[in-house]
Amino acid sequence: MDYFDVAIIGGGGTGAATAYDLALRGLSVILFERGELTSGTTGRHHGQLHSGARYALGDHRIARECMAETLILRRIAADALEFNQGLFLAVDDEGESLTDEFVEACRAADIPATEVPVARAREWEPRISGATRRAVLVPDGTIDAYRLAMRFFASAASRGAVIRNYTQASGIEVTGGAVRAVAARSLRDGTETRYECGAVVNAGGPWADRVAALAGLEVPVTPAAGTMVAVEGRVANMVISRLRRPSDGDIVVPQRRLSIVGSTQRKVEDPDGLRPLPEEIELLLASADELVTGFSAQPFRAAWAAARPLAGRSSEEGREISRDIAIVDHGKSDGVRGFFSVLGGKATTLRRMGELVSDQVAAFLGKAEPCRTAKFDLAPYADYWRLP
Amino acid sequence: MTQRLRIQLGGQAPAAGSAHFEDFEVNLPSGATLLDALEYIRTGVAPDLMYRHSCHHGSCGTCAVRVDGKEVLACLTALDSLAGGIPVIEPLRALKLEKDLAVDPGALFRSLPKNTSHLRESEVEHYIRFEDCIECGSCVSACPVTARSWDASTGKVEGFLGPAALAAVHRESLNSPERAEEMRTVAERPDGVAACEKHFDCSRVCPRMVYPGKHIEMLRREFART
Ligand SMILES: Cc1cc2nc3c(=O)[nH]c(=O)nc-3n(C[C@H](O)[C@H](O)[C@H](O)COP(=O)(O)OP(=O)(O)OC[C@H]3O[C@@H](n4cnc5c(N)ncnc54)[C@H](O)[C@@H]3O)c2cc1C
Ligand code: SF4
Ligand code: FES
Repeated sequence: MDYFDVAIIGGGGTGAATAYDLALRGLSVILFERGELTSGTTGRHHGQLHSGARYALGDHRIARECMAETLILRRIAADALEFNQGLFLAVDDEGESLTDEFVEACRAADIPATEVPVARAREWEPRISGATRRAVLVPDGTIDAYRLAMRFFASAASRGAVIRNYTQASGIEVTGGAVRAVAARSLRDGTETRYECGAVVNAGGPWADRVAALAGLEVPVTPAAGTMVAVEGRVANMVISRLRRPSDGDIVVPQRRLSIVGSTQRKVEDPDGLRPLPEEIELLLASADELVTGFSAQPFRAAWAAARPLAGRSSEEGREISRDIAIVDHGKSDGVRGFFSVLGGKATTLRRMGELVSDQVAAFLGKAEPCRTAKFDLAPYADYWRLP
Repeated sequence: MTQRLRIQLGGQAPAAGSAHFEDFEVNLPSGATLLDALEYIRTGVAPDLMYRHSCHHGSCGTCAVRVDGKEVLACLTALDSLAGGIPVIEPLRALKLEKDLAVDPGALFRSLPKNTSHLRESEVEHYIRFEDCIECGSCVSACPVTARSWDASTGKVEGFLGPAALAAVHRESLNSPERAEEMRTVAERPDGVAACEKHFDCSRVCPRMVYPGKHIEMLRREFART
């Protein structure tokens, strides 16, 4: 009978970072992903390395967390990122009057935001909107979504974590008020295997409610679809954002030789099989044109949707770690010891999510090792597939 | 819009059954892609359908398959472009089949010289940081030499490094002059440039316009010169 200290359910960036973190602490780990690794939300997001500027006016703690993680990722995963920076553009009255407050809010969150003359901004990025009235430089960047997550998988695997793709967790066994095993079904041959374990981490992203249901529990997650549109060509080298309170279609992220505008938000029943709506595509292209001249005239490349887990946040004891990331200790909240859910977050904060949930899992298992994931360069992403 | 697809199923694991074809019907609005069709089938009648995908916009390189014998990225293939027939969807050749349309890209990654597959600043347009090759394996599958030299029992291509690897070797020799000698040694191996028969199918199928065939030719010319 196989035994693992921790079974992780969900093979997106959060699961990957958690597997690496726990493996570094010397725990034995197995991770289940029902499809290919990163086939959930992680591979499909907008690709913005958030300095936190976008959240500065809303919640300075989220903003500060993004900035801290940006600095860490630049150190440990440089080749999965672009160091291209970002510009926030005030293109209307709202933006113009918000600019001072915005810069101040960024600085309060340790984000080095600087207003630059519009003429200078236009030297850097000739295609920014003619309506630009004020411009602010921030340390945003671009993430290669797939390769960043795969670097965490490669690092986890090199530390002995067992990663099982195409393997769907089909049951969580609870006896005497504690998790005891996970049953997982292989899509390769349809067989189901039982894995005994000391703890279970639900890293199911927008599927987290379905994963919790395997243990008969509920977590407050509602899936929402977010649409993005990619066009050929880099309309800008920097990440271009609209300076206003966060809304639909106000960010253009360049990625390789593409430019991507996003995103939208619409509640859905099922995070699977999402398709963008024609009106969303139209709205996004029109919004992008307000930021960058001629965006919609670039050759169309792709439109797609990713699922966002909208968290119905609860203030129950032990639930709220940060505004953005919630760790649920189901031992405390539901009487199922050893079961933890990690909810919310961003691709930018994947490492931090892994750290927060691993702190609790390690403490539960009586392992005193601290988090070390911020210390070392991650393994090259190709190593994951290179291993025989 | 309704479209029928003929998909190769099964393959590797004994319990998965040997490879065979099955027809599926999908009903999706115009604008949908072949990847959307696979998602439609998986979330509907065939929950165990295995295929690879991640970014859905042609960046990650995971979703390459063969449509009527030609390599494409499923996420950039409009379903409309397949109308009027029943396209045959197969996994890539010359890589180990896992099941259905999913292959193990391990052999591709092992063929690439170490540290060149890292994303790095491109020397051509200094502000574009990422290299163009997305390691999708299309060229390896399309190349008649790799396809012929592929040994399903060992899961290896014997005798040819393959187009993606040689393109990476050439690229690396330009990007990092200090590694030029090392790269040249790789390219000069019998399974390097010499094994290429100049079919150029690699360049025809490459979805990122890396033109691996051109890189191989450039290596060949460099050898002739010195
Ligand atoms: C439209 C949009 C744009 C975004 N843009 C950005 C951005 O620009 N920058 C940024 O930092 N963040 C962005 N994000 C946020 C970011 O994408 C997510 O926070 C992150 O990808 C979540 O990763 P995850 O691992 O938690 O979830 P996921 O990647 O969804 O992983 C969960 C996994 O669990 C698997 N799973 C489910 N059930 C089971 C089961 N029973 N057994 C096994 N596996 C199972 C799923 O298949 C899935 O792969 C964006 C999100 C959206 C929706
Ligand atoms: S060279 Fe082109 S076809 Fe070959 S792996 Fe790279 S992107 Fe794919
Ligand atoms: S899913 Fe990433 S290239 Fe198609």
